[in-house]
Amino acid sequence: MEKNYLGEFEELVLTMVGILGEEAYGNAIVQEIETKLNRKVNLSAVHVTLYRLEDKNLVNSSMGGATTTRGGRRKRYFKITNTGLSLLHDMQEQRTELWKLLPTLKFSTI
Amino acid sequence: MKDFQNINPPRLAVWILRKLLRNDLLEEVEGDLEEKFFSVLSKSNKRKAKLNYWKQVLLYMRPFAIKKTKSNYSKYSIMFIYTIKLAFRNFLKHKSSFLINLGGLSTGLACVIMIYLWVNDELQMDKFHKLDKQLHQVLLNHEESGKLNTQPSTQGILADALESEVPEVLMAVEDTDPTWFGDNFSLENDKKNIKAIGKFSGDQYFEMFSFELLHGDASIVLDDKKSVVISESLARKFYQNPEYAIGETLTWNLLQFNDKVKVTGVFKDLPNNSSESFDFIIPFQNFKDLVGDGMNWGNYNAMTYATLREGTDLASLNERLGPFVKKKAEGSNVNVFMRPYSDQHLYNKYENGKLVGGRIFYVRLFSLIALFILGIACINFMNLSTAKASRRLKEVGVKKAIGADRKLLIFQYLGESIMLSLIALVVALLIVILLLPQFNVITGKYLTLSFDPIALLIMFGITLITGLLSGSYPALYLSSFQPTEILRGKLQSKFGELWIRRGLVVFQFSLSVILIVSVLVVHRQIEFAQTTPLGYERDNVILFPKEGKANDNLDLMLSELRNIPGVAYASASNHKVVQKSGFTTGVEWEGKNPEVETRFENVASYYDFIEAMGFEIVNGRSFSREFNNEGNSVLFNETAIAEMGFTNENAVGRTIKVWGNDVTIIGVVKDFQMQSVHDKVSPVLFRFDPTFLPNMVVKMQEGQEKETLARLNKFYEDFNPGYAFQFEFMDVEYQSLYQAEEKVAYLSKYFAILAILISCLGLFGLTSFTAERRSKEIGIRKILGSGNWRILVLLSTDFTKMVVSAIVIGLPISYFLVRQWLDEFALRIELQFWFFAVAGIAALAIAWLTVGIQTVKVSKINPVDQLRNE
Repeated sequence: MEKNYLGEFEELVLTMVGILGEEAYGNAIVQEIETKLNRKVNLSAVHVTLYRLEDKNLVNSSMGGATTTRGGRRKRYFKITNTGLSLLHDMQEQRTELWKLLPTLKFSTI
Repeated sequence: MKDFQNINPPRLAVWILRKLLRNDLLEEVEGDLEEKFFSVLSKSNKRKAKLNYWKQVLLYMRPFAIKKTKSNYSKYSIMFIYTIKLAFRNFLKHKSSFLINLGGLSTGLACVIMIYLWVNDELQMDKFHKLDKQLHQVLLNHEESGKLNTQPSTQGILADALESEVPEVLMAVEDTDPTWFGDNFSLENDKKNIKAIGKFSGDQYFEMFSFELLHGDASIVLDDKKSVVISESLARKFYQNPEYAIGETLTWNLLQFNDKVKVTGVFKDLPNNSSESFDFIIPFQNFKDLVGDGMNWGNYNAMTYATLREGTDLASLNERLGPFVKKKAEGSNVNVFMRPYSDQHLYNKYENGKLVGGRIFYVRLFSLIALFILGIACINFMNLSTAKASRRLKEVGVKKAIGADRKLLIFQYLGESIMLSLIALVVALLIVILLLPQFNVITGKYLTLSFDPIALLIMFGITLITGLLSGSYPALYLSSFQPTEILRGKLQSKFGELWIRRGLVVFQFSLSVILIVSVLVVHRQIEFAQTTPLGYERDNVILFPKEGKANDNLDLMLSELRNIPGVAYASASNHKVVQKSGFTTGVEWEGKNPEVETRFENVASYYDFIEAMGFEIVNGRSFSREFNNEGNSVLFNETAIAEMGFTNENAVGRTIKVWGNDVTIIGVVKDFQMQSVHDKVSPVLFRFDPTFLPNMVVKMQEGQEKETLARLNKFYEDFNPGYAFQFEFMDVEYQSLYQAEEKVAYLSKYFAILAILISCLGLFGLTSFTAERRSKEIGIRKILGSGNWRILVLLSTDFTKMVVSAIVIGLPISYFLVRQWLDEFALRIELQFWFFAVAGIAALAIAWLTVGIQTVKVSKINPVDQLRNE
């Protein structure tokens, strides 16, 4: 694997896509980040990131059926790919390794 | 849940989104945004939701999401970009013709911009007063031996009479002309004595004229007789800070008169666009007291200004005003009329009571010159670009063959020329910025290059018109060719065009010749005027005002002065000799024709004055201390003696009347040139009159002027404490009489350079045109054995003919013009043959040089290069 890491925001969005499963589309991800992490993000930022992730083949997308709630407009659903999932796993592992190396906090007396 | 049926996302934001967002993204994004909109709406209010929607839309304006505009290029924008691209490529490819065109256009534009600045400034003169539309100056027409003589000086009592008796006059104010008192006016406090330009004005002066007061109230500053209003810079000289000036006491000195006054106001230094120039104002009442009985209908000792009721018809008012003074004073010969105040700068020349122009002539002349220069620059540009057309014929042919229509080509060439003129504008502005200081020195103005909207609009307008004009002919010409003919290499030139080009070159060179002659003549004449003997010695003579103790005891002052080593003579007079100062008609002699009034220049003087000035006594003697009663002695110059019908010999000893008193002629002075060499020698009367002698004169011995001046300065400090020794050299004063001529000299020099430059460009254009046209002919000639020299001669003959005909046209015109200019001088140089010869030869040499560069290049070219390209 030539590149096994992601930017913080990319990782966050990718994780959210994974969490939301079948229901992952732009606005849902924004809402989810807001409720879970209490962090405000812009739709456009999420959108850009989703497309970047799709370019990297970490998610794929498809248009959903017509809706009644949003003026009949369709949603684009994103789904995490196996590559995406394994990348998340890899990153998680790397991080755990690193955490182990971190010395436990000591309050030394000077 | 609330009902949000009626609330929708902001329509404009949606529209923007739809316009700019990639089509494949639009549906989902719009959906997401709408969903978000309603969720925000349900949580907070409508305003927040809309704001948030806007924010989200704007944040979508990022490269990934917006439409790729490239796919959407219209053919016009493509064309536009290519026009610019092609223009730049062409500029780079033909550097020399680009630079020549740029040089020609930018000099032309720079010239036009400078003239525009000057003309604009002239037109704005005195227009800044708030009451400008109502503000008028009162003038008098004097009836003198059947003719009308228009003068601005009026009776000091006229203003009050006008204000109270003429219903249309709202306000009338009188003042004195600041130039009347010259250096004799000064202000002093216990520390300093400062000479300044002052005048006496009526109490409504600052209400009438919008000279800004920094301190003081315009309606009352001059109400108190013992008040003075001073300029900001004068206040600074006295008190450092103008604020401290108010309420301070100053003493004004004018000749032997003086009085204490209180500073009641400080005005901002006068703007550059005001014709008025003064440093302080004292209420007119003081002047009335000073003049005393002189304030009557027969004495002209004030300027009068009036504001008229709005909507007053000036013509009919003037008709009624005419006899205003005659009704008051029996036997008066003056008619009153008014003219708009701001006209005084541009329309001030009256002949026999009729307005005949004035400075406006120059404004119009220079505007015309500006148009002319621009026109010539444009035509030269056309010339050069049509001349170079053959280089671009193939380009035109190919473009037409693949479907460009004529409009497109015209657009392209016009675009190119407009671009060039825009570049030229930038260069021109740089030139203007560089030359403006020098230009200001010549014109005596304070012009600055300002970029206010109107100026910008005018500059861009001029540039655009230049671009369009100069590009129009090449554009139409180039685009008119048939593609098949171009590509086959057949092209016929129209005969008429060549004639236009030739005519233009002839015209431009005639202009150059005329200007070269003028430069030569003007320079020679000024040199002559400043070196010619005038009949008196102006070297080493200094003039300074009589002031302080000198007013109390002139004899003491003069004898002290004479005792200073290095001083040859010391005297006093009312006259500066380099300027006329006043005439009298009060001389009567036996056999005088009562119908004819003879004006005698009135010189009041003291002992030694004639000696100090170096006047030559032809017969008799000058004023001398050996005779006790010189008050009844007079001298005349030769012209005056001849005017009275006497001879130099029999005049001395005669008794005549001056102002009714019997006086004796004691001597005759050789004629001398008073004022500048413009004027004929006029009759001069020398009187001995110790009462009014405002100017001191000292003649220094030659060779030690510097030491003498230092000694004089020292003496002055001791003798006249509190007064600064401010003197002027008489020869410097004399030189300054020729300021106008020096300006003409300067301007003609610059115009000559410009004309030569432009005509060289014109010639260059024509040369390159013919060289281009005849390149095949030259190639064939060379192959058949013609040498380089022969080719050079062949190409130059044509131009030589043109330049010679230009010289033939230009010289007579220049002769006529300089003849007329010289006629204004009483003493003048003779026109010599070599002035014209030099101009002609210079024109020829310049022409040959210009042609030579081009033709040598052409004649040296390898004929193969010229011929194979078929």
